[in-house]
This record gives sequence, C-alpha cells and structure tokens, in this order.
Amino acid sequence: MFSNILKNGLSRRTFLKSTAATALAAGLPSIALAAGEPIKIGFLAPLTGATAAWGAPGLSGCEIWAEKVNAAGGIKIGDNSHMVEFVSYDNEYDPAKARTGATKLIREDDVKFVMMLGGDTWPGVQPVADRTGMLFSTLLPSDLSPDTTTLLAPTEVHPIYLVTGVQWLAENKPELKTAVMCAQDDALGLPSVATYLAAFEAAGIEMQDEPLLFDPATTDFAPIVTRLLSTNPDIVCLDTCYSDYVHPICEQLFQQGYKGQIISATADFYDQMIAKTSKEFMEGFIFQFPDFDDPALNGDNINFEDANGFYEEYNKRFPGQWGAVSWEYAAIMQLWKAAAEKAGSVEPDAVLAAMKDGGKGKHAFGDADWWGTEMFGIDNALVGDWPVVVIEDGKAVIKSFKSIPAWYEQHGDLLIKHMSAYDQMWNQRG
Amino acid sequence: MFELLAQTSLNAIYAASYISLVAVGLVLIFGVMGVVNFAHGELFMVGSYVVVALYADRMVPFFVAVAAGLIFVGLLGLLMERALFRPLRDNPLGGLVASIGFLMVLQALAVLGFGVRMEHIPPVTQDVITFADKISIPVARVYVIVTAIVMLSALWYFLKRTRFGWALRASAQDPEAAALQGISVTQTAMIAMFIGAGFAGMAGALTAPLISINPHMGHSVIITAFIVIIVGGVGSLEGAVLASVVYAFVHTFVTTFFDGVLADITGLALMLIVLIVKPTGLFGSADRA
Repeated sequence: MFSNILKNGLSRRTFLKSTAATALAAGLPSIALAAGEPIKIGFLAPLTGATAAWGAPGLSGCEIWAEKVNAAGGIKIGDNSHMVEFVSYDNEYDPAKARTGATKLIREDDVKFVMMLGGDTWPGVQPVADRTGMLFSTLLPSDLSPDTTTLLAPTEVHPIYLVTGVQWLAENKPELKTAVMCAQDDALGLPSVATYLAAFEAAGIEMQDEPLLFDPATTDFAPIVTRLLSTNPDIVCLDTCYSDYVHPICEQLFQQGYKGQIISATADFYDQMIAKTSKEFMEGFIFQFPDFDDPALNGDNINFEDANGFYEEYNKRFPGQWGAVSWEYAAIMQLWKAAAEKAGSVEPDAVLAAMKDGGKGKHAFGDADWWGTEMFGIDNALVGDWPVVVIEDGKAVIKSFKSIPAWYEQHGDLLIKHMSAYDQMWNQRG
Repeated sequence: MFELLAQTSLNAIYAASYISLVAVGLVLIFGVMGVVNFAHGELFMVGSYVVVALYADRMVPFFVAVAAGLIFVGLLGLLMERALFRPLRDNPLGGLVASIGFLMVLQALAVLGFGVRMEHIPPVTQDVITFADKISIPVARVYVIVTAIVMLSALWYFLKRTRFGWALRASAQDPEAAALQGISVTQTAMIAMFIGAGFAGMAGALTAPLISINPHMGHSVIITAFIVIIVGGVGSLEGAVLASVVYAFVHTFVTTFFDGVLADITGLALMLIVLIVKPTGLFGSADRA
C-alpha cells in the first residue's frame, strides 16, 4: 500500500482503505502476547459512590488473587508464563463513565478481559463490546441477552440465586406466611423484586402489599419502614438494596419495634448492623453471601481455591472490608485463567470457547451448567448451587447449598411471569 | 389505622424539625444579604462530617460534637461572607455562582478527607419511646425535634427582642435605610451568615446518626430547602417554618401511603401551585420576591 502511495500518490480510495484499516485495528483488542509480557485485566466497576460496596472490595480480592497466582509463576499461555495485573477504572455506576472506561482499558491499557459489576452501566459499555469483541464479565446475569455474545455471568447469578433463600426459609420456617418488600427503583432493584415475588409465590408466602420502590436518593427511611410494618408482616424482604440502604432500614426496623424475619440479598458489614441494633435483632437474618472462613467452603464441591485462606488474608490486609463481592471477581479470574491456559491464548473468542466447552463449568460453589437461554436469550450464565446464609449468634453461617436449576425446573414459569410483569425479560429491556 | 397515622405524624414532625432548621438558615441569609446560597446543602453536609470526625472517630460526646458543628459551620459561613458574598454584594447573580463553586469545593474536600463511601456512625442512644405498644419514636429523633424547637425559639427571641435582631430585620427590610440609620451592613451580614450557616450545620450534625452520610448528601437537602422557602415565601422566617411543617407532612404521608417518588413529585407540584397562585409564597412580600 505504501509503495503504491509513493508511486501513484494518495488516491481517495487508498486513503479511505488505509484509514478504515487503521481504525479497525485500533478498535480491536490486540491478540499477541510477547514472552514475559504481563497480562492486563480490566476492572471496570464502581469504586466510589453508593454502589462502591459491590466494586471496591472485589478489586481488593483480585489483588490478593493476583499476588498468589504470580507467586506461583503466573498464567501459562502456551510455552510462556505471564504475570497478571489489574487495571482499574472507577465507573461510579454511571453508564457514560463506564463507556469511557471500557474504551480506555481496551485501547490504551490493552487489557485482555474486562470484569464489571454490570447493571445500569452495561448499556453504556455494550457498544464498545460489540465494536471490539472484547470479553466482558458481569455480576448481573440480567444484563445478558442474545446480543451480548461476549458477556458472561460466570460467578454471581443475581437475581436468580435469591430463590434459594426463600426456598430455605419456607422449608425451615413454614409458620411464616406473609411478606412485604422494599427496593431502590433501578436496574439492580427491579429484577430482584420480580425474582423475590416469584420465589415467595412458589413458597406459598403471601405478599401483603405491592413492593415498595423508593428513590435511590432517599436518606430518611422511617416513612418507608412505617409503611412496611403497617400490615404486621411475618417477613420483611430488603430485596437487593444497596448496603447503604440495608443499614438504615434495619435500624428503623429495630427502632420501630419489628421482631420478625428479615431476608435480603446482602448484609454487607453486618457487624456494624449488629452494633447499631442488637445481636438478638439480627439473629436469623437470611442473606446470600457467606464469610469465606465458613467450614462449609472446604467441601469437595467447592471450586474456590483455599477459601478460608483467602478470607484470612483478605481480613489481614483489609480489616473490616469483607463484603458480598470480595471473592467474586477473584472467582471469575480463576475461571478465566483456567480457560486461557486451556485455550493457550488470551484471545477473547478462544477463552470464551474454552470456558464454555462442554456446556459445564467449575463455579465457585460447585460444578454448574452454562445456562440461561429461556431467561436471558443466551446461555452465558454459569448456574448451579448457591449458599443460603443465616446470621447466628452474630456470625454469618452457611445453612445450606440450594440448586438454582432445580428450583427453576419446578417454578421457572413463575419467574418468567414476574420478570415479564416488571419488564425485566431480556426482550423487554431497552 | 390510628397507629399508622400517629407513627407517620411522628416521622413527619422529625422531618419538619431538621428541614425547618435548614430552611430558616437559608431564608435568613437571603433575607439579609439578598443572595441565594446554593452551598447551603453542603453546609448541612459539613455539620454531619463534624460529628463523624469528633463523635464517631474521636469519641467526643455527641452534643459537644453538635455544638462544634454549629460553631464550625457558622465560622465557615463567615468565611463565605467575607470571601464570596461581600466582594459580590452588588452582584447577587455573581454571589449565586460563587456559592455553586463553593459547594463543589466543599464536596471535594469531603471526598478527600473522608472518601466517598457513606459513613455509618454509632447510634447516640438506642432508647425508644413507645406509645400504646405500636407507636414509637427513637430518642435520637426526639433530640432533633427538641433542639429545633429550642433553637428556632431562641432565634425568634433574638430577632424580636434584641438590638442585633432588630438590626438584622431592618437590613432585611430595607438595607439602604438601615445603613442610613447607622446599622452596619457588613456586621448584619456576618451575623446572618453565622446564624444561617450554623443552623444548617447544626441540622446536619443532629441528624448525622440517623442518616447515611456522604459528600453528596447536600443535594437533596438544598432542593427541599428551596421548595420550602418558595412555598413559605422568600424572605419570611415564619413562612419557612410553616412551609417546612406542611412539606414534611405532605412528603412523609405520601411516602408512607403511596411511594417516595410520588412524594417528591407532590412536593414539586406544591411549589408550582404556590408559584402560580401566590408567587411571593404564603408569607412572602412582593419586594423581596
């Protein structure tokens, strides 16, 4: 091409072809890894703001994971070993910032894989994913659709794991028959509302009121809690409220004299909640995210390497910071590493194919299936068992692992019904 | 139903208490200085962080921390008066813009000093006053209500019965005439700023154990304050207090019986109706408007 330009001058056609080729090459993730070159992984999540609890602790977990992997020689791609390092970008849970971050991570930082929280930020990133073909992961399978071919949900399966908590509750506390629910009105809250409604209906638990959706800018939860308690429910469900809402809502429940059952997706920093209420009040609180020092995570079914050791190291380096996502991004990296080593490549298509090979994968909580065609239009969610966690004597304890696919086989129609009613099915979302 | 109405009313009285402290402060500043202080919500935020720094982090007794919040934010108000509003005294729009810049500075400083995570501070007390088994109010909220009543009463006395108060009211009514009578415009502006800012800071400090504190919490506070002072009448302290009560009751009841988003819309609709029917507000005067 250059010799043609030199000989014949720069024609319009040549100019257009060369410009297009340059633009295309600039947009694509680079494939080749030089020997010894570190593998950069993008961490595109909220590190600040109301949802930082679902981003920042995960980055801390990744740092621990990376040090362990690098100390063991790194990631082996073909004949070469490569150290792994994370490049973070704080998207502040804003889709525009997420788009900017994705572009920067891919074009400037040359990352080979991008991990995200997802949710409201995914729509901002999807055009970048489509244009570049980069492999992304999300903690929220509700982001998946037939168009998201390079987006995986390999660890967290929010919101569908929420059915396990309700199932356990119904089996172990059958005397509890009525429930109320509140949630923030956003992409995290709404699919979760639909899932809990399906789970309660499947368990024969009556909703006493419509789910109470509140403005994410709410700071005074007294009126909301007053409304929740006005029907004397057996169960108050906090849906997937941000941890900064769970705390004041629980305080209000305590102050307004509630003595019933509480169920929530998360209970981050539950020790602070206990300090603000009481051990007795928080006794029996059901949620879905274990402390990784739980002996149940030493079982043969668990695929997260040395869960107890990871927890110990995490708390040593980041005391008081363990939360729902502290382990999740590291768990995703375990899967990515295994797939890249199997494929002998960091190229997104190759890693994706290796990860989904055989339709099965090693989820942190046990062997699982790549699943989701009916719910999400694509089987890019790794779904299997999920723990049910209960606070007992001030400590989170895993009470059971429940199978999500087994629940879905029995009650999937209810989930689709409620997801559709809230416009949360993949073919309804904008 | 009676218990629900009673509980909701108690929630509304608490909300009216801290809203009135903020709104009265904002009205005082506008009334005397003629400037709209957009950083007023951030002064509330600073008051909360004073309690974080003293009570939560250094175990200073809570009410000492609240007093420190009032004084510190009052002094911050003096700084604003001297550095921002005094040089722009003849340019109210310039003062408004300067206050917007200052609010960003305060937010940035809060982020630098405390990070952006919401702060959860230990409860002042876990005691709850219960009526008829089902109606309850935490003692911590009673503290807010009582303090608001005491401070607003003290302000009323100050304005009605003291020379400084008369000077403030005179400056608010007619700055030129007040100056001709020998009243120092600068001195009254400083007093107004100290009290107005201090009230906002005190509201933030008192409510700190009851809310989630973050550097951007002032945004919703200033929106509420503006709605209240527009409804009550720009420049009217009595209107600010009455409108705070009306707004708090409307917002709390709509949140409880419908939902929070509808409550926000209702508050804004209330403001629009007042603007259409009586643009000066319920107690406002035409010249100040």
